[in-house]
Amino acid sequence: MSLAITKINPAFTDVMPQEYLDLVADGPFGTNKSAKDLGLFKELIEDHPLCAGCNLAMAFRTLISSLPAPEDTVIVGSTGCNSLVFPQLAIHNVHSLFGNQNAVATGLKRGLKLRFPDKNKDVVVMAGDGATADIGFDMTLHSWIRGEKITTVMFDNELYANTGGQESGMTQFGTVRNMAPTGKKFQKIQVTEFAKLAGCVYVAKLSTANTAKIGQCLRNAVLVAREIGPTYIQIYTPCSTNLKIKPADSVALAKKRVKDDYAFEEYMTAEAEQLLVASGAIKPKKQKDQADKA
Amino acid sequence: MSAKNLKEVSTEYMLFKAEREEQFMTGSEAVREAIRRSNIDMSIVYPITPQSESSHLVGDLYAEGYVKEYLRGENEFAVMSEVAGGAMAGIRMFTATCGPGTLRAFENFPMWSGARLPIVIAFMTRAINAPLSIQPDNIEMSMLLDTGMIMLHAENAQEFYDMLLMSFSVAERTSVHIPVGVFVDGFFVTHTRQKVKVVIEDVKLQGYDPAMSPTPTIDMETPPFRYMKDPFVMKSNYVSYAAHASWQQECMASIERARPYIKALMGDFIERENPGAPIQIVASGTAVSQSRAAIKMAESEGIEVGLVKIKSIRPFPAEEVKKALATAQKIIVPEFNRVGWLAREVASVIPNNDRMVKGPRVFGGMTMPPDVIVKAIKGDTRCGV
Amino acid sequence: MSKKTLSIRMSGLGGQGAVTAAHIIGSAAVIDGKNATVNPFFGAEKRLAPAESYVRISDEVIYDTGEILYPDIIMVFHPDVILSGKSYTMPFFAGLQQNGTIIVNSDFPFAFTEDEQAELDALNAKVYFLQATLLAREIGGTDLATNIAMIGALVGVTKVVSMDAVEEALKERFGGAAKFVASATTAVLDDAIKAKYAKAEKLIEANMKVLTAVSAQAESLVAA
Repeated sequence: MSLAITKINPAFTDVMPQEYLDLVADGPFGTNKSAKDLGLFKELIEDHPLCAGCNLAMAFRTLISSLPAPEDTVIVGSTGCNSLVFPQLAIHNVHSLFGNQNAVATGLKRGLKLRFPDKNKDVVVMAGDGATADIGFDMTLHSWIRGEKITTVMFDNELYANTGGQESGMTQFGTVRNMAPTGKKFQKIQVTEFAKLAGCVYVAKLSTANTAKIGQCLRNAVLVAREIGPTYIQIYTPCSTNLKIKPADSVALAKKRVKDDYAFEEYMTAEAEQLLVASGAIKPKKQKDQADKA
Repeated sequence: MSAKNLKEVSTEYMLFKAEREEQFMTGSEAVREAIRRSNIDMSIVYPITPQSESSHLVGDLYAEGYVKEYLRGENEFAVMSEVAGGAMAGIRMFTATCGPGTLRAFENFPMWSGARLPIVIAFMTRAINAPLSIQPDNIEMSMLLDTGMIMLHAENAQEFYDMLLMSFSVAERTSVHIPVGVFVDGFFVTHTRQKVKVVIEDVKLQGYDPAMSPTPTIDMETPPFRYMKDPFVMKSNYVSYAAHASWQQECMASIERARPYIKALMGDFIERENPGAPIQIVASGTAVSQSRAAIKMAESEGIEVGLVKIKSIRPFPAEEVKKALATAQKIIVPEFNRVGWLAREVASVIPNNDRMVKGPRVFGGMTMPPDVIVKAIKGDTRCGV
Repeated sequence: MSKKTLSIRMSGLGGQGAVTAAHIIGSAAVIDGKNATVNPFFGAEKRLAPAESYVRISDEVIYDTGEILYPDIIMVFHPDVILSGKSYTMPFFAGLQQNGTIIVNSDFPFAFTEDEQAELDALNAKVYFLQATLLAREIGGTDLATNIAMIGALVGVTKVVSMDAVEEALKERFGGAAKFVASATTAVLDDAIKAKYAKAEKLIEANMKVLTAVSAQAESLVAA
């Protein structure tokens, strides 16, 4: 954006809410702030109506503060716990229907490209596992297959949290949940593998056990989506409420899962790697390997 | 003629002044000719009979440069969401579907209206399962009556062409800014070749200006930057109830506010034949054409029959219909669907419903022989309910 | 239905070109200065499945739309329509108006059943057998010209449209100047027939030869 939209008519300054004035004065628009600067700038999201200790909220805060160009980013959410956060977000964002987020993002991205052919307008989808891999899976996959230049982020809490803890496609095999009273009878969907097959050029799988990594991966994903093609990030965000654990124990659970079955994974095509190295976002792999050997 | 050298003109100029030529074409081709002049930015489509051909033709316009962006989506639900995304980004969108596709996409339509998206969509109606039928039948219109979109029902390819051309201007008014559905009875209009007067001047409609939208465009260029589409109040309290209720009322009101804009471009909401006749037929869409044929047949037998053709279903011309039928002794409502939705609409706005013959109704694909309407005129009780 | 409207119903097998024939006749009528509407039977088109198309021609505005239930003229593009019941309309002459006309394409004339013949006699129907496919192959060099031969038969028997207008309509349809839009399946067959001829003019020339020959033969049938 031109940043002109943040300018306030001087005559109205006295009636604008203080936190809006703060966003204009100390917000991250056009300043290239990242998650490591948290605490040093006015954040685009500072409040949420989610449960205490919500890992999704943790991830959300990191993601938003890591956007490479928040002033030129629009976000598409979907129905679920995460959609409760969006009304408090200081970026243009969309709640449309449950599951149609990647379809809406497709239209948005192409529409913005037509209107602003010479600008980068980043379109980022942020939705839960139900929206991404169950009710909207066809649209998730097709947006990837079509090569839409958007970033898709899944908050994977392995259940439907907002409706009361039902089994989702991302629930682990055998787990008892609402609507799976005798345990889930099929495997957790390997969405990262689908993503690679469907043409995502950058895929990362990680958890709230390492929030710094979340920020780095989002940056990588958005930069790559801007230039090359679809990117996907899957974040394990355990739901202490539905798992019936103490909020304070949720990060410990995430750390345990990293050891068990949710280790950090990052995949990128050679083209994506080249781009990220050129932009300074990552170090070249070979160089790194050689450095390790030496 | 080249897509690049078209001069932008007002909708009024396009409809009333631009040079036209009579051509022999199908309703699907009439869609192509209307969209050629409509200056749309993007169209996203999905195949379903009998809509597909018109969407192929919009694809041809894309290949020729008349449409900037075009793609086939993965299913109708996704397509209507993709179309919504484009409209949210501030560009002019057009799409089309019918029957089962309409129902597959259904959740999107009230969302379009609530999100104040000025999308123009053509419905080329078709029967709905089960059992499977790919034939003409407009039952989907009864299901769309309360989705919050403007609904225009064209009788033939000429009216289809003109209604499509006018719809963008109506949909995009700041005080309206809701979707417009232009309906025709599938096959009867889409697949019938007939004479259509189309604009041949090198002109196109003025483009869409997103700054005229009553709600901010999702582009991070339009203030305020703290903006969510759509108003979204998930907390259960009286403020959120009031927010939803008042927003929905506003959407309904925007349909009503469209009346003068529709009238200026389309003319009166109803058209009449033989207004003084004691027997009046009320119809919309292809049923109007069948009724016109029936009126001629009755006339040759010495029976005078009148016609009230309804062109706009939403907003519904309640006052006009009530006035037109004030002195009618018998009112016949022929329809191409099982449920008789137009009869319900008419019954809800006129007194003395015992004057009505709610039929004949043909559904599942067949044409309605004018002879059957003549039977209803003559009092055959099998021709109505 | 207004008596002043002439209604033609064409029954054939998918791929024989009944829809294209209807289009050309309708276009020709419009070129002759009349009103016309043309539509196919509404449904999925599949090759060799029953196919039907309809033309209405009138000096007045035509309102009635959809399939023609009470035709003045019935054109049968393939004997299987009658002999094997490959038709949407059973019997094939259902709804034929009194004193109506039937034109049948068959390599050999055949007898109708006793019941059929009795009904046709009661209707005072005039029936003409023509070897349209045979003539299309002999003169036009391809079975794909069967529909063109049938148009010739119609012109010869009824004079409903002028030969000049038909030629003009053919140019519009196959000439390539105005982009004609056919359904997907028809487009495939269009490509097939266009591939047979190096140039559109050659195709139209061959079609006109077929038309003229069949029309003359039909005229002689009527005279007899």
